[in-house]
Amino acid sequence: MTRYARLLWVQLRASMLLAMQYRADFVLDGVVELFWASTTLLPFFVVFAARPVIGGWGRDEALVVVGCFIVLQGVLEGAVNPSLHGVVERVRNGTLDFVLLKPKDAQFLVSTARFSPWKCMNVVTGVVVFAVAFRGLGRPPSAAGVGIAAGMFACAIVVLYSVTTLVVSASFFVVRVDNLSFLFTAVFDAARWPATVFRGALRFVFTFVIPFAMMTTWPAEALLGGVDVRSMLLSAALAIGFAAVSRTVWLRALRSYASASS
Amino acid sequence: MIEVRSLRKAFRVPVREAGLFAALGSVFRRRYRTVVAVDDVSLSIERGERVGFLGPNGAGKTTTLKMLAGLLHPTSGTLTVDGHEPSRREPDYLRKIMLVLGQKQQLLWDLPPTDTFDLNAAIFDVPRDQYVRTRDELVELLDLGDVVKKPTRQLSLGERMKCELVAALIHRPKVLFLDEPTLGLDVTMQATLRTFVRRYNEQEGATLLLTSHYMEDVAALCPRVIVVDRGRVTYDGSREELARQVRPVKRVTLRLARAATAEEVEGALGEGVRVVTHDAAELGVEVDRANVGECVSRALSRLPVTDISVEDPPLEEIMRELFRETSAARLEADADATARVDADAEGAPDSGEDA
Repeated sequence: MTRYARLLWVQLRASMLLAMQYRADFVLDGVVELFWASTTLLPFFVVFAARPVIGGWGRDEALVVVGCFIVLQGVLEGAVNPSLHGVVERVRNGTLDFVLLKPKDAQFLVSTARFSPWKCMNVVTGVVVFAVAFRGLGRPPSAAGVGIAAGMFACAIVVLYSVTTLVVSASFFVVRVDNLSFLFTAVFDAARWPATVFRGALRFVFTFVIPFAMMTTWPAEALLGGVDVRSMLLSAALAIGFAAVSRTVWLRALRSYASASS
Repeated sequence: MIEVRSLRKAFRVPVREAGLFAALGSVFRRRYRTVVAVDDVSLSIERGERVGFLGPNGAGKTTTLKMLAGLLHPTSGTLTVDGHEPSRREPDYLRKIMLVLGQKQQLLWDLPPTDTFDLNAAIFDVPRDQYVRTRDELVELLDLGDVVKKPTRQLSLGERMKCELVAALIHRPKVLFLDEPTLGLDVTMQATLRTFVRRYNEQEGATLLLTSHYMEDVAALCPRVIVVDRGRVTYDGSREELARQVRPVKRVTLRLARAATAEEVEGALGEGVRVVTHDAAELGVEVDRANVGECVSRALSRLPVTDISVEDPPLEEIMRELFRETSAARLEADADATARVDADAEGAPDSGEDA
């Protein structure tokens, strides 16, 4: 375990070095990230300017969901996507060979190969959004609520990572999965709204198939003090289920790796 | 050290005719062809041996190398390397081997090579002091100096390949699989890499399996060669024996005190002698191995010889001749394979592979 921790640190260090390799890019990336994080809030304010309550959620309560979304988006784009999307290219040009020649778990190696440090700006923005929301509500979240929300966030990250792994695993069979990846990113945008906004089939899909409800709505409910035990257990079960399925599919995909021409 | 028995690797690859209708048709009904990249390869390599793995494009060299490195699963047959079954990719096994692919790189493109070295040291759990010692030693042997501190994208091809070797050797592997390591390098750089690889082999007692289209690499490094063609071993033995079998002649190079014509030289040396290179006063002639003594004696007595040398024909020529013999058979086999195309509506995953 210590060896993997050391390896994670070395990979993180390499990503930091890469981010700082070009000074102009480093500064520009920071400014761009700040801009994108702030634009995430625009649709929210447009909608709530027209209606005070949506799907049973008031503006400040729904803002907590947006905060969860911004944080999770930062994790997705900063820690999950850069590494896993690199796998698609590695499969296509055959440089995955070098990963498979290493005496460490290949999924760990490719999952930690690249981070985008500037995406942590989303996490900072998310925390600011939480502060604004709870100021509007006139009360802070309880310590227990923060603890439960943190646990549910961890489960959400596992599910998000697993879904991305499943998308990436498809590249072993169909080579180009860019469209699938863009589709997921576009659909993930729905997670910025509370799950109760969606009705019928969409609610079922966003709860069980691509469980956005457990990623943003349930942690927000935990912070607001209204989450039930059933959601907590379901959250953990979804994390375990998705992790198991994605691991199985990944290992199967590896076996079919044909190593592109040299 | 390396034991391979009846190794076979087949790929199913999709095929279709050119054109829009064929493309549309393949969406509904895919046709596949079974390509046998490696077909019944058996070989045995001792610890510390340096072996050249030769063959024309598509012969199955790279596929065999990738199976030995554990990257590809054999379709059938067995292979073990130092007691390990490569396809299991056990960490203990991966710590013993390295694979350098001349056309692919593992160096981090935008960072200096030294960052890749750091990363590999962490991945292979190389203790810090041992890592620093190995890195500095390899950097010095390859005369890299401050090159390792420049971003990889700014390095020349030769510098990059040297750094690739350092990155691959940081954990001091005992088995070296080198696939076209000198591809695209200039003559000086090729020689530097050969010297380095040979020294590593001698110092560490490492086993070396090398594929290269540059016969100088094989001539300089590998006393033993294994020739594969169409996935089968067609020769396994010493370089000299291969030369004897394929070209039962010796190359005699004559340097004369004055220019001479090919006819004049052939006339002086007698029957069975053929001039193959001619540059004014320097001529290369081929003569049957049995008649070398007589040929040299005649040359010395009948021509104004200032220098003379007797060698096997260049490996390059031997391989060219060897592969020319099999090219006709290859065309015939390709025609047979086309006939074996089988239609398959269900389809298996597409696989692409350079054999």
